[in-house]
Amino acid sequence: MSLAAFILRRVLIIIPTLWVIATLTFFLVHAAPGGPFQAERDIPAAAKEQLLKKYGLDQPLHRQYAHFLANAARLDFGPSYKFPQRQVREIIFEAFPVSAELGGWALLLSLMLGVPIGVIAAVKQNSRVDYGAMGLALAGVSVPNFVLGPVLVLGLALSVYWLPPALWQGPESRVLPVLTLSTAYIAYIARLTRGGMLEVLRQDYIRTARAKGLGESVVVAKHALRLGILPVVSYIGPATARILMGSIVVESIFSVPGLGRYLVNAAFNRDYTLVLGLVLFYASFLMVLNLVIDVAYTQLDPRVELA
Amino acid sequence: MTAPRGQLEPLGKPCSTRTCNRRSLRRGLLYCAAVKRLALLTRPILRLRACVCLLAGVFILGSCAPAKQAAVGASATGPRWFGDTSPPTDNTLRFNLGAEPETYDPNIAVGQPDGRVARILFEGLTREDPRTLEPLPGQAYRWELSPDGRTYTFHLRPGIQWSDGHPVTAQDFRWSWLRLLKPETAARYASFIYPVVNAEAYNKGEIKDEDQVGLEAPDDSTFIVRLAAPVPYFLYLCQFYSCLPVPRWTIEKYGNRWTLPANIVTNGAFTLAYWRQNNRFEFARRPSYWDAASVKLDRLIGYTIDDLNTSFNLYKAGVIDWCPSGYFPSQFIPYVRDYADFRHGDYQGVYFYSICVKKPPLSNVWVRRALKLAVDRDAIANDLLKRSRRPWGGFAPSGYPGYDNPPGIVFDPVKARECLARAGYPGGKGFPKFSILINTSEDNRRIAEAVQAMWKRELGIPVEILNQEWGSYLQATSALQYDVARRSWIGDYLDPTTFLGCYLTGDGNNRTGWGDPRYDALLRGAARELDPARRFAMLREAETILLDDGPVIPVYHYSTNELVKPYVRGIYQTPLDIHPLTRVWIDRDWQKGPAPVATAPSTRPTEIR
Amino acid sequence: MSAAAPATTPVVAEQTLASTRPESLWADAWKRLRRNRAAVISGVLLSVIALTAAFAPWLPGMQDPTIQDLRLGATPPSVGHWFGTDELGRDTFARVLHGGRISLMVGLVATVVSLIIGVSWGAVAGYRGGKTDEVMMRVVDILYSLPYIFLVILLLVFFSRSILMLFVALGLVQWLTMARIVRGQVLSIKQQTFVEAARALGASDQAVIFRHIVPNTLGPVIVYTTLTVPAVILQEAFLSFLGLGVQPPDASWGTLVSDGARVLALFPWLVIFPGLALSLTLFCFNFLGDGLRDALDPYDRRDVA
Repeated sequence: MSLAAFILRRVLIIIPTLWVIATLTFFLVHAAPGGPFQAERDIPAAAKEQLLKKYGLDQPLHRQYAHFLANAARLDFGPSYKFPQRQVREIIFEAFPVSAELGGWALLLSLMLGVPIGVIAAVKQNSRVDYGAMGLALAGVSVPNFVLGPVLVLGLALSVYWLPPALWQGPESRVLPVLTLSTAYIAYIARLTRGGMLEVLRQDYIRTARAKGLGESVVVAKHALRLGILPVVSYIGPATARILMGSIVVESIFSVPGLGRYLVNAAFNRDYTLVLGLVLFYASFLMVLNLVIDVAYTQLDPRVELA
Repeated sequence: MTAPRGQLEPLGKPCSTRTCNRRSLRRGLLYCAAVKRLALLTRPILRLRACVCLLAGVFILGSCAPAKQAAVGASATGPRWFGDTSPPTDNTLRFNLGAEPETYDPNIAVGQPDGRVARILFEGLTREDPRTLEPLPGQAYRWELSPDGRTYTFHLRPGIQWSDGHPVTAQDFRWSWLRLLKPETAARYASFIYPVVNAEAYNKGEIKDEDQVGLEAPDDSTFIVRLAAPVPYFLYLCQFYSCLPVPRWTIEKYGNRWTLPANIVTNGAFTLAYWRQNNRFEFARRPSYWDAASVKLDRLIGYTIDDLNTSFNLYKAGVIDWCPSGYFPSQFIPYVRDYADFRHGDYQGVYFYSICVKKPPLSNVWVRRALKLAVDRDAIANDLLKRSRRPWGGFAPSGYPGYDNPPGIVFDPVKARECLARAGYPGGKGFPKFSILINTSEDNRRIAEAVQAMWKRELGIPVEILNQEWGSYLQATSALQYDVARRSWIGDYLDPTTFLGCYLTGDGNNRTGWGDPRYDALLRGAARELDPARRFAMLREAETILLDDGPVIPVYHYSTNELVKPYVRGIYQTPLDIHPLTRVWIDRDWQKGPAPVATAPSTRPTEIR
Repeated sequence: MSAAAPATTPVVAEQTLASTRPESLWADAWKRLRRNRAAVISGVLLSVIALTAAFAPWLPGMQDPTIQDLRLGATPPSVGHWFGTDELGRDTFARVLHGGRISLMVGLVATVVSLIIGVSWGAVAGYRGGKTDEVMMRVVDILYSLPYIFLVILLLVFFSRSILMLFVALGLVQWLTMARIVRGQVLSIKQQTFVEAARALGASDQAVIFRHIVPNTLGPVIVYTTLTVPAVILQEAFLSFLGLGVQPPDASWGTLVSDGARVLALFPWLVIFPGLALSLTLFCFNFLGDGLRDALDPYDRRDVA
């Protein structure tokens, strides 16, 4: 199968998959207790009726579902229930670039640091360098970002006033959120790279390469790394989707206007349209990324066939 | 000022709000005098920090750092100030506006942050005195009340304009108030102007003809409001943000989207210059405002920060100049109490436990009495919450002019055990297990754990804690699917009926299934009673019944706890936590002493130039 | 599978291929594991942690983790309270020990789930390829994309909350990334000569996948498993927030750490001690995992053999 045909087929498969996701999500969301117009303070019955009517929530569920599907097909989810002056689409288009920027930097940093650390640790397996790097990686995994973020703020923004403690304004405001977000990913990537490399470095073709007298760095960089980072590549698909879609924890700690805060809050608020819009956006994003990853496999490992 | 959102939380504590949900999700951390403690942090963290500092090099950290050095504290002798005290170089007030407003369309705004924005952008017939919240002339420069107390005639200031140049007219007010009442608007606070003739019927769709509502605009500058009965606090009601005027022509043109910065037209001291959701609002001074001469700030920047620790950090670093009540963690109160930034006062709200009386044993009044008497309010408010709240055994809060609160419920374990025995469960034997429902937040949980331990210790009753996220919690409380639930209530106006009205039989805010004809009769009687003393006596009797037999277990009285930088002048603590910002100013010479009296906004005469 | 397995030809064939002494695979691995000192120490330490947590309520001198002293409030570590007290005046040491019960269980369940479901799902999808792979991977995508909060809320609505539901909630999603990782590995491995050979000798798909391919993915699998443990323990705190997981006044390491993080600057011991317990467990899991990987390594084994 040619690469183009492969990609085309996969893109076509995305559509029914999205439909399944949209349908499941729609019914999940509507089955959850409560609704978007519930409040601590009672709403007069007449007002509530009007609100439901205004948003079509007084219709039977199957009608709402049909309406939702028709809207979704046009990529228009209507206004958010909680922020009625805004369209779901506007919210996504405004917040996604922020999350993507934050996540993009974090991802870049994670790859730039995680992969080399993992490779070095694997090459020098069981050396002090290996233990040091992996100890650090484990520490990175076991310190959750909701602890790390505040510690960084305490250390770098409030004890010494080097960096702003929060808010998304100016380049310096990116540093702390990016560091907080990337630490765990650096650790994951370093660990996975090491694991993958150890596996590969033992294989016959690497021995062959070494036996041919190639320098160790060439063996590692040219031959081993291609296959050694396969686990990272598998991991990076979903991880990229998650990291670029924003993290509620990091966005809250640093008051970043990204997408991460919307999804969780929309769920608590039962903001149906916003939840559905965000889920479908995330799902399409994830599946496109996974497609890219699957193509990447074939490019990295000549033995892998386009299935 | 009510409102599910910022509403309940002077300190972020209670959590009735979605905000809180959010807050509890995030984890903050904070400053403290604790650089030393930092050294105690775990080895992994230290290692990690070292590694992180290295990484920071990648970002060329040092060179791009904005060096804002904190001058901590003022002089050695004067009051101590917290964190950075250097005033901003521009004429701008930066503050935390609170959680992101759902809308700031005044007619449909609900939450406290919603109202905060609406009050900055729009001005009503009257405006609040920044200290006392008493009505001062606003868009109306004078008004008369007819001798029978039923007709208000407001005279609008001549020459006032909207920000697009339209004159502000009495028709604007009439249209706005009718919009508030229109069923299609679905305003949650339409009931604020129910005292107006036929307003309720119109709002409920029983009357279609708007001319039958007691709102008249005989000419451009005269707005007449006819009430069905005298309401002593009516001026306070029409100061509420639901009653602010809105521009008809933009609403008709843009619909829901009229409030976007590009479309909005305002009549207050500021216009909306910039808005980004989950980030900030920027308000610019409006030169065409009638009293623009006394507006000293060029700009207001309200960040929407719902994370309490973040808000506190930004205050400490001097990024924001005002951290309003409810937007820093209560745990920090003991540490900031001694700083001059800290302002503490009563707030018209009560945190209480609500009992669903639908099924036994909680339907038994003696069981309810036992539960009420076994809660040690002093321990919760003073020890657990570190005196950031006041122990409170009543339902209506203190401080309503003319109202003499009945004696509150006191902690009395001996009597509690007697009541329980009387209910048929001596020593708690055989008492079925029941649960305390809370919406998840750390503070709700701490209080619930304390109460759980108290009931176990004093009464021998097994209780479990059931936590739910906001949506499920709301559904459970309104559908009466709970045993005991955490709730809180914030007053909308300065009269005990704003609290007591909740427990009328079948009221939408009752949510307990409780009702008592005596109680209902007293409240209805009070509504008809013209003599204030007799009226308050009836309300007091009703509250006594509620506390004795009813479904509420009061826990604490809300307080406001806010932080204001020394150079910010004109922000005062008020019992409704409302802060008119029109005449706030930045005092760069704050170290020279208190602001001169003449600049105190509340005493400034209304000048017309 | 043992050498005594019914002698259908394919099985015999692949056994002879895999190793000259197939029955010794696990015994052999166990021998290697015992020789790895870091792994042994970790294993012992992990057992000690698990046992103290499991028997915490019956340990002599252990304080009741729910006894409050509101007046006392949060105090730093002292002789009476080794790990200090929390804001309700409860003993943090007792709370950390008790908290280990649910956290370790959660960690274990997530590990097992991601190993069993994730590895088999990924391996089958990768090996079979084609339509099977497509369908299986889209299922993973769908589960990834569904809003998790609603899944949990609905679990709470339709089932009474219990420890079982907690495991279900974790099990629903914990295996997804694992499945992708294993699939990625399998795509590469299945083209290698030894797999071809096994197939050519008539080994069943099942045998090829689980005897030949899966052992070769163990490196990344074990690494990813150990990394998941702390993430899951912390995720439990989020589930507790939604009403699943531990119920107050009980606590888990996850809830202790996330509550402590909020007052980190004021009462650092509230996050440090549960955090240390969590890190210690993670390090143990990690060394044990590395030891297991080395012990099960087919290449090493071949070298020795």
